[in-house]
Amino acid sequence: MPLSSQTARVKVLFFGRLKEVVGQAEDTVELPDGAPIEALFSHYGVNHPELARFRASLVASRNQEFAAWTTPLHSGDEVAFLPPVSGG
Amino acid sequence: MSMTKSIHADLLLLVRDPIDQDALIQHVRADEDGAVVTFDGCVRNHSHGRRTLYLDYEAYESMALAKIREISVQLREKFPIHLVAIAHRLGRLEIGETSVFIAVSSAHRPAAFEACRFAIDTLKRTVPIWKKEYFEDGAVWADGEMPPAPVETRAAKPAS
Repeated sequence: MPLSSQTARVKVLFFGRLKEVVGQAEDTVELPDGAPIEALFSHYGVNHPELARFRASLVASRNQEFAAWTTPLHSGDEVAFLPPVSGG
Repeated sequence: MSMTKSIHADLLLLVRDPIDQDALIQHVRADEDGAVVTFDGCVRNHSHGRRTLYLDYEAYESMALAKIREISVQLREKFPIHLVAIAHRLGRLEIGETSVFIAVSSAHRPAAFEACRFAIDTLKRTVPIWKKEYFEDGAVWADGEMPPAPVETRAAKPAS
């Protein structure tokens, strides 16, 4: 997959148990422009291998909308990794 | 289209203080309505056979409000209702306190009943809010529901 040499600066948010696993609620990451959400998640897996077991139960969002893991990211995007929701 | 309906002005809130239920009810009731149906979601003192001490709610606030707004739009598309008020509380909640309150008004009661049920069921599946349950011997994040995942799309960008 040819990636542009440009980088995308993306804001990342963690909630619920994921926030506890990663140890932070918010982060900013630079990655190749157009990289998918999946790649961003993998980035955190390097330092937190235990994240892998949450992957199947997570939904991702981009700019406050649920987004497929293949969604390409660009500068200014806000991505969140959302555990199963339990409001109400 | 009725000429008498008030301008669409739903009240949708995330709050940290106790929910003012009466304000929500008053917000949705109008002279053209014959029914107001409410849902009061409150903190239960037990979960999976264990005694709950209290709950702590957190939200992805900007997205949660957007998703609650989507629910209010869906309600109006699906049911002949008048007005909607939805408030969800965040932070620490004690046993018996209201975590979510929904009020729906309509000219005739079936629409308000159905819309209120649809609203809470949809909220619990799609709004990014999480609760942590505190017990005497520890705390756990409540089992949640996975929001409907979007279909994986192929990258639409041409190669050059």
